[in-house]
Amino acid sequence: MAKSNSWRQFKAILRKDLVMELRTKEMVTSMGLYALLTMVVYQIALAEAGDSFDVRLVMPGLIWVAFIFMSMLGLNRSFVHEKDQGCIDALLLSPVDRPVIFFAKFAGNLLFLLVVEVLSLPVFSFLFLQGREGFGNPIWMIGVVLFGASVGISGVGTLLATMTVNTKGKDVMLAVLFVPLMYPLLRAAVGATFAAVIGGPGTVETFWLFMAWVAGFDVIMVLVAYGLYEFVIGV
Amino acid sequence: MGDTPTNDLAVQVRGLTRAFGVRKALNDVSFELPRGAFLSIFGPNGAGKTTLARVLTTLLNPSSGTATILGFDVVTEAVELRHRIGLISHNPLLYPDLTAEENLLFFAEMYALDNPKERVSELLADVELDHRRLDVVGTFSRGMLQRLSIARALLHKPDVLFLDEPYSGLDPHAMDILDGLIAQIRGDHTFVMISHDLDKGLELCSHALILAAGKVVLFESRDQIDVPTFRETYRATVGSGVA
Repeated sequence: MAKSNSWRQFKAILRKDLVMELRTKEMVTSMGLYALLTMVVYQIALAEAGDSFDVRLVMPGLIWVAFIFMSMLGLNRSFVHEKDQGCIDALLLSPVDRPVIFFAKFAGNLLFLLVVEVLSLPVFSFLFLQGREGFGNPIWMIGVVLFGASVGISGVGTLLATMTVNTKGKDVMLAVLFVPLMYPLLRAAVGATFAAVIGGPGTVETFWLFMAWVAGFDVIMVLVAYGLYEFVIGV
Repeated sequence: MGDTPTNDLAVQVRGLTRAFGVRKALNDVSFELPRGAFLSIFGPNGAGKTTLARVLTTLLNPSSGTATILGFDVVTEAVELRHRIGLISHNPLLYPDLTAEENLLFFAEMYALDNPKERVSELLADVELDHRRLDVVGTFSRGMLQRLSIARALLHKPDVLFLDEPYSGLDPHAMDILDGLIAQIRGDHTFVMISHDLDKGLELCSHALILAAGKVVLFESRDQIDVPTFRETYRATVGSGVA
């Protein structure tokens, strides 16, 4: 009998999630629509401010509020497939180490989240930055903060989605647990995004300071999630 | 942890208890089953049958007591044990948005099989689903789902097969296919089947167990069983409200 191979199992779980998402488009569609609708609401809310108000001052906060709530929609969906027809039992019955399941689900959630974030940003820029100054610092800095914060969101979110999938009112339960845990990451991500958007003297240093905060959160929370996952998903 | 089974017994359960809060779903359950046996487990709803199956298949840890399958402890040697057991449930345990072939290939990767495509083709032919291999499982009938579920459970050639009400909701054709598959592999495997169907369970079994309120009411080998007395005992456990 062939021995289990964690890398093969990781790829298989990730590929399975990608195939199912490409077929159903449930996560990306729900997250994308939420992001779009949130931006439209923001635009209406800020419509009367006119040119007297530099929207770039609040843009980082608006972006991350939208992304945090949008991610909860996707994370909730990520384990619903596993619950359908008891698939999670068949997965747990196979000789796969539980952390392999965590990393595969985490990678899938991260990928789907990044796809929606990258698609949302041009729309956000179109709605809010028309006729204004663009980003004060190079655009790649936005990419760095998007990736860094999304790692933390996906890591903690994957753990919490696994915990709450069997609970009554899992949508509310996920939000109740997820938002408070996200506070430190959200604060750092907004700070880094602000530095990237505004530009000017000292903002690059500020950006990297906040990114170190984001990276620290990512490492700690992903390690905690990894350590707890067997307990959470198992018996 | 050894790679080879270390025990002549297929299943050995000693003082197994599983509590959910203050309620004991399993209460000091003990029995032994030799290799190659077919155990039918009967009991009223809520008797603890599914909890017992979940503990023996490593999906749930016991609160106390021990259970070994082929000599492997269900808690401390769970990963090794999972290579050697399969589960056919009344739930198909298949992804409805994947095709039949994709489902089996996915689980073949989970068991790290050497030639997954060959094994999947062989099993799809065995369960007469070769012509539907590229169809999404969500479009399958109940009987087809159960046949594919059987193929999934047999992918890694397990030594012990757990059947949790496998005939539930099957049409006669699907029942015949399941009967045929069980007959085909019976000599090489040990079976543990949970059933409400006394006739079917007694027809197939070499051993029978009645569970009620988490306790073993009766455990006998088939040649010890007096069918009328067995039926009476079963009816008494269901009727007395012990569940």
